[in-house]
Amino acid sequence: MASEFWKNGLLFLDGAMGTQLQKRGLPPGADPILWGLDHPDALTDIHRGYIAAGSQVIYANTFGASPRKLQRAGRDVDQVVGGAVAIARRAAGTSAKVALDIGPLGELLEPMGSLRFEDAYEQFKAVALAGEKAGADLAVIETMTDLYETKAALLAVKENTRLPVFVTMSFEGSGRTFTGCTVASMARTLEGLGADAIGLNCSLGPDQLAPLLAELCLNTRLPVIAKPNAGLPDPVDGHYDMGPEEFAAALLPCLEAGVTIFGGCCGTSPEYIRTLTAALSGRQPAKRRYLEQSFVCTPVTPLPLTGVRVIGERINPTGKKRFQQALREDDLDYILEVAVAQEDAGADILDVNVGYPGVDEVRMLPRVVKKLQSAVSLPLQLDSSNPDALEAGLRVYNGKPAVNSVNGEPEVMARILPIVKKYGAAVVGLTLDQGGIPQTAGQRLNIARRILAAAQRCGIPREDVWIDCLTLTVSAQQEQAAETLKAVRAVREELGLQTVLGVSNISFGLPNRGLINQNFLIQAMGAGLTLPILNPNLGEMMDAVAAFKVLSGQDQQCRAYVERFAAPPVDTKSAAPSAAAELTLDDAIVRGLKADAGRLAKRALEGESEMELVERQLIPALDRVGVDYEKGRVFLPQLLSAAQAAQAVFEVIRASIAEKGGAPVKKGTLLVATVKGDIHDIGKNIVKTVLENYGYEAVDLGRDVPPQAVADAVVEKHIRLVGLSALMTTTLPAMEETIRLLRALPEQPVTFVGGAVVTPEFAAQMGADYYAKDARASVEIARAVLG
Amino acid sequence: MKLDLDEALRYLGAGAGAPEDLRTQAAQAAGELEAALTPKYTYRVLELQRRENSFSMPQAGLALTGHTAGVMLAQCNRAVLLACTLGAGFDAMLRREQARDMARAVILDACGSALVEAGCDAAERELAERLPGLYLTDRFSPGYGDLPLELQPLICAALDTRRRLGLHVTDSLLLNPAKSVTAILGVSDRPQMARVRGCAHCSMRESCAIRKGGKRCGV
Repeated sequence: MASEFWKNGLLFLDGAMGTQLQKRGLPPGADPILWGLDHPDALTDIHRGYIAAGSQVIYANTFGASPRKLQRAGRDVDQVVGGAVAIARRAAGTSAKVALDIGPLGELLEPMGSLRFEDAYEQFKAVALAGEKAGADLAVIETMTDLYETKAALLAVKENTRLPVFVTMSFEGSGRTFTGCTVASMARTLEGLGADAIGLNCSLGPDQLAPLLAELCLNTRLPVIAKPNAGLPDPVDGHYDMGPEEFAAALLPCLEAGVTIFGGCCGTSPEYIRTLTAALSGRQPAKRRYLEQSFVCTPVTPLPLTGVRVIGERINPTGKKRFQQALREDDLDYILEVAVAQEDAGADILDVNVGYPGVDEVRMLPRVVKKLQSAVSLPLQLDSSNPDALEAGLRVYNGKPAVNSVNGEPEVMARILPIVKKYGAAVVGLTLDQGGIPQTAGQRLNIARRILAAAQRCGIPREDVWIDCLTLTVSAQQEQAAETLKAVRAVREELGLQTVLGVSNISFGLPNRGLINQNFLIQAMGAGLTLPILNPNLGEMMDAVAAFKVLSGQDQQCRAYVERFAAPPVDTKSAAPSAAAELTLDDAIVRGLKADAGRLAKRALEGESEMELVERQLIPALDRVGVDYEKGRVFLPQLLSAAQAAQAVFEVIRASIAEKGGAPVKKGTLLVATVKGDIHDIGKNIVKTVLENYGYEAVDLGRDVPPQAVADAVVEKHIRLVGLSALMTTTLPAMEETIRLLRALPEQPVTFVGGAVVTPEFAAQMGADYYAKDARASVEIARAVLG
Repeated sequence: MKLDLDEALRYLGAGAGAPEDLRTQAAQAAGELEAALTPKYTYRVLELQRRENSFSMPQAGLALTGHTAGVMLAQCNRAVLLACTLGAGFDAMLRREQARDMARAVILDACGSALVEAGCDAAERELAERLPGLYLTDRFSPGYGDLPLELQPLICAALDTRRRLGLHVTDSLLLNPAKSVTAILGVSDRPQMARVRGCAHCSMRESCAIRKGGKRCGV
């Protein structure tokens, strides 16, 4: 960058645009961007007012420009965004820098809404290109509340323009954004992605932002921006409660906390900026302190690596037939279940490996990342040797992830480290190279040093380099266990880096593997292992971690330990032991006792085939609950509990069949979808849960599904039955359109419809074959059509 | 903030006579939800202008037409626009719970509906305190009676709900996050009778399982 003007001393931005436009005649409800284009003199007046007040950077009137919405209004993004930037450019001349102002697109991104990350990126790209072309000096991304959308915008600016980028997000007093993002997650993710300055704007006054800004300063090395509101608005009259003097005075503590870039948001005016610049001019930036720590995160879960953190290893097809089957069948729900189970068991980070013959990792890894982050709040460690798959996964990850792995081989580092740097990830370095795994701790330490040096040359900070000293099988190379522990100690003590080990490798080929694993884990933690990769569902391993955290002082006042063991977790839905003796599979299903149902199914399979179990025991039990539900004797949660107990039985059956390599038990396949425009899909998910547990396979297209996508999937997968749901009267036309397309197919499927607003009359009118009043009714329909 | 457990149980089709184990499960879910998040709301008190067959709120740039608005606002010269949401956090909890346990997810969903209503009640109490000597009508929402759903984006724009609450309206007029309510309340200098009775005037009308089953909840 020719001149990094934001790094020298203090820098002053401008104040509010919206209220200034209103003062000059912007009517309520009008689009401020389009109105501004039609009133260039008003805009020029506002910009010049701020420059005269001392603003060194003015924001062009482009906030919230959405190419999709502009296009719908028959406007062109180049003309609109470019036009607004050009007005600012002319107003500024050489006396101020002009910022292209990028705000939220006004649509929620996946998983909250249905705007895809990739589509958001394309929209931001169009805005960024238009702004640069029209002469902007920098881009600001502001008033963001979703870190994912912020990432899309930041990547779009950085990948397509040469503009420096400032990023500010809006927080509530709780220290989180509306989507739950924390200050630390924001700071460390955005710095990793290459923002030039970061900060907070809007939502609160400077007094309330001050503590959040102090926290932000601790979590970044970048210059920090404060652009607060003039206090809070009065809900009755809409007036902001802070005057210019008070505003400027309240920003002084922000300066002392380390902020160097100042401006105003809602409720401010040139008068506020004038008072602010007068109050702060001549002041020196405060000395900053940066909290140097290893860190990964999702927006809602910041995870500083300040002690032992468990990396869950279960999302990995190696040696797991059921997982391999899920990958082959594109069953991402199963992968999510594996993830949720590990989160519940206490994992801190989840390793994600989807490499398996026949699986296109470049396509699969980002899909799995998106699926997992839709419902799991733990940081992920993307595990692949394929750089393209890693890049695809890192790109769509929301937060700061880790990459597993590189090794000391120069070509591997050259391929992977630049990707790690670009996406601001942490990286695991395996202490092996083209010469294989060295036999001594000293040689492994040397490789660790080489990996660290190469990472730092790439611009990756040392705290983001994690070293795996490699666990070898003790039954094959007995002396290596001690050597690995020695290497861990050396990496920890001499390099001060995080250490990773795949713990369970140690015990291959031995009986009672759990005992060896637990002992090795304890010794390794004693030697300095901070990031064990293990199966968190194994109680003895997590017990060992809990005990280590007590003895090492990490678990202060033994709180977590006491909580873990004081009240041992009881499965509240398990039958009492005495009753369990007489419990039948039928009872277990009817009462929704998942664990018992699974156990009893295993026993039943000793005497009968999978199909017999389904037909003679499972289905009749489900039917009994179904009838009770229809009669109003049990309610939806109980119907679903029974379905889930049935699912446990199905898992036993699937595992049994996968072991034998046979074809899965399936009574037929149907497709379910929530129609275009509808984003509430719990009803559809209920139907799916119930049908799957009757043995039907449900292809789930999700929510907000375009009619053509339903038709295409029906043709591609030869579907005979389609279930559609709609919640709102506004989306019934999309349901009708979907049915129309399906009826035009050469092999038209049978359709059934349901959902809040759907009635038998609507169903008939739309040409649906069946109306399902609830999930139970859909079972009867599936029986009639699929058998 | 506390939610009304019987209301949540009604959403599950059970109501006051719910079996004890279901009530226990719902109470536990309600407790966890109440601890995890608090409804957020915002409102504005705006001038109401009477036209021939409608009302307008010039500060918000919106018009209220139809029978429902006519009856509800008959004696009012101001009106409150209100929005309340559980936020994106609830949707994330619900996605997670669906991956873990669908039965618990539907209970959580029902508790969420009850909690957002509790949030509206809290906003209403706050308003009553801020407007001493004045009377509020019952709250009514777009999609309610003949008040058009098309008002949804206009109300949200007037309240700047995207910035204030993180509340969006989709192209198909759905509120997102899911557990959100927008409503209008008339402000009058005369006591207002409670008018909202029965399904025709209920904001749950569109998604009410009880009504679809041909029954009434009695509210």
